[in-house]
Amino acid sequence: MIGVRVDRLTIRFGAFTAVDDVSFQVAPGEFITLLGPSGCGKTTLLRMLSGFLEPTSGSIHLDDVDVSQVPPEARDTALCFQSYALFPHLTVRQNLEFGLIQKRIPRRERKERVATVASTLDLDTQLTKLPNQLSGGQQQRVSLGRALVMRPGVILFDEPLSNLDAKLRDRVRIEIRRIQRDYGLTAIYVTHDQAEALALSDRILVMNGGRVEQSDTPEALYHRPRSRFVADFIGSANVIVGEVEGPADAGIWRARTPIGLLGFTSERQPPRAVTLCWRPEHVHLGDGDLEGIVIDRSFQGNYTDLTVRSGDVDHRIQVSATPLYEGDRTRFAIEPERVVLLEDEV
Amino acid sequence: MSEARIQRVLLVLLLIVCTVWLVVPFGMAILWSLVDPSVPWTADHVLPPALSFYRWIDMWQFSSLQRALVTSYALAPLAAITSLLLAIPTAYALGRIDFPGRELAKLACLLPLVVPAFVTAIFFTALLFQLGVHMYRFPAILFAHAVLALPYSIRIMTVSFEQVRQDHIDAARDLGASSWARFRVAYLPALRPGIFASLLIVFIQSIEEFAVAFIVGSPDIVTIPTLLFSALGQDYVRPNAAVLSLILVVPNVMLMLVLERLLRSANPTLASGKVM
Repeated sequence: MIGVRVDRLTIRFGAFTAVDDVSFQVAPGEFITLLGPSGCGKTTLLRMLSGFLEPTSGSIHLDDVDVSQVPPEARDTALCFQSYALFPHLTVRQNLEFGLIQKRIPRRERKERVATVASTLDLDTQLTKLPNQLSGGQQQRVSLGRALVMRPGVILFDEPLSNLDAKLRDRVRIEIRRIQRDYGLTAIYVTHDQAEALALSDRILVMNGGRVEQSDTPEALYHRPRSRFVADFIGSANVIVGEVEGPADAGIWRARTPIGLLGFTSERQPPRAVTLCWRPEHVHLGDGDLEGIVIDRSFQGNYTDLTVRSGDVDHRIQVSATPLYEGDRTRFAIEPERVVLLEDEV
Repeated sequence: MSEARIQRVLLVLLLIVCTVWLVVPFGMAILWSLVDPSVPWTADHVLPPALSFYRWIDMWQFSSLQRALVTSYALAPLAAITSLLLAIPTAYALGRIDFPGRELAKLACLLPLVVPAFVTAIFFTALLFQLGVHMYRFPAILFAHAVLALPYSIRIMTVSFEQVRQDHIDAARDLGASSWARFRVAYLPALRPGIFASLLIVFIQSIEEFAVAFIVGSPDIVTIPTLLFSALGQDYVRPNAAVLSLILVVPNVMLMLVLERLLRSANPTLASGKVM
């Protein structure tokens, strides 16, 4: 189990800066996720961590050893590929053994390690099969097993679930988390799927345009997003611009917005113009100072999603049940504790 | 007309075309090679009046056939291997390295095929004469065969190199593989069908090549095609020519069938690694 330290890492391709001055640390045994839309630099960052790309500047330390110039074959990392990248002409056993043979691990230990990993991943009965005789989920497990069997200091995942169907994805996700905990692995996981990131990670680094936008626990990211980008990217959010009128209570301020007067929390003096954000499920329907007309209603099973128009602004409200339909007028309230001040300039 | 009926008609048509294209020439060659010299096969007979193995025995014993066979079958595999070795660096570059003008370069490699083979051969041999390498006749022919077949081997190997998956190479590296281990686990399985195909096609090209072998080789070196030319062109003994063309064609057909088997065994899911 080792830690990772990334220091001011930058990579440029010609004039394009794919990863721009990124720094972070991963504690031993921590599971962190690089989350962001395609093109945000997360995969490029992962390829630098695994050694396939050389950074333009900055450094990567594995347990205080600078590995920035160490090639992938000599680095104590193991990568789980999005495509699995199983060797198609080798059996599952040969695939699992491949890395151990390269590292000249004695035969007896090889057998033991493969057996252990195969039983952990429930692959015992598949060892003599070729990859193309396995289902997608099984191939995924072989790919995970091939990395695990190396007992790497850091395990890297490049969107490993994106080729699985939704049901299977949930199952494998739980499995990955369990194995990471059992083995005490330091893990860095790349995905564009926020649900995956929220469920798996100890900490999430939200990336945008080659930079880390925010690094926090899943809960903190969801409840206290720092920017409009993070608020939008993780879950659904209502974002609105307003003008501060003054303090209301200790740590609570009031702002005039297009939907009405909104209270929000801020520990420091806010600027005059503010960007505010709240989650659709934090709105109370029925009474309150704010008012709107329901213009769309969609029933989602465990909740109902309403689009409400207040003034000329449309925003979303999620409630567990409601008698309201399109055209109905309603009053609603949002607790100031639930309204977050974003750092975006207005 | 129902679909089944159309299919049956097409099948019959295909059979007729195949018959005309393959069975008739083959049958004629076999019959001509068996004509007994005592009774000539004249136009008023549908089939030869008398059959014997005289021509086969005669050719085997009294012509340069044995020498030609040895030469041709030494030349062809060597040319196939040489051509493959010469093609691999170019094919690697065209298949795996991204550079501006790559598509154009691929096309340029095929360009020699536009010129009739005989013309290329004449100019290529002129080059060999100027360099003075025609003195070493066998290596000169070998070199020429390998080079003239390069468009085929480069093209085939380029496609093979394109099919090597980068994630397999990366995975092997990530698992600590040396360059040789990487080659064996990631490249070779994807290249294998291409290697066989390239070897076979160049082999057949070389076996059948006449112009270079004739210009550079004669009179010392006889290959089956040059022998065939003398049987057809100079002496015009049709039964002898029939014997030679059968000797030329039968091993090729056998090789074709072997290749077909090899290509089929390299099933596409193995090459792509995914269940479609």
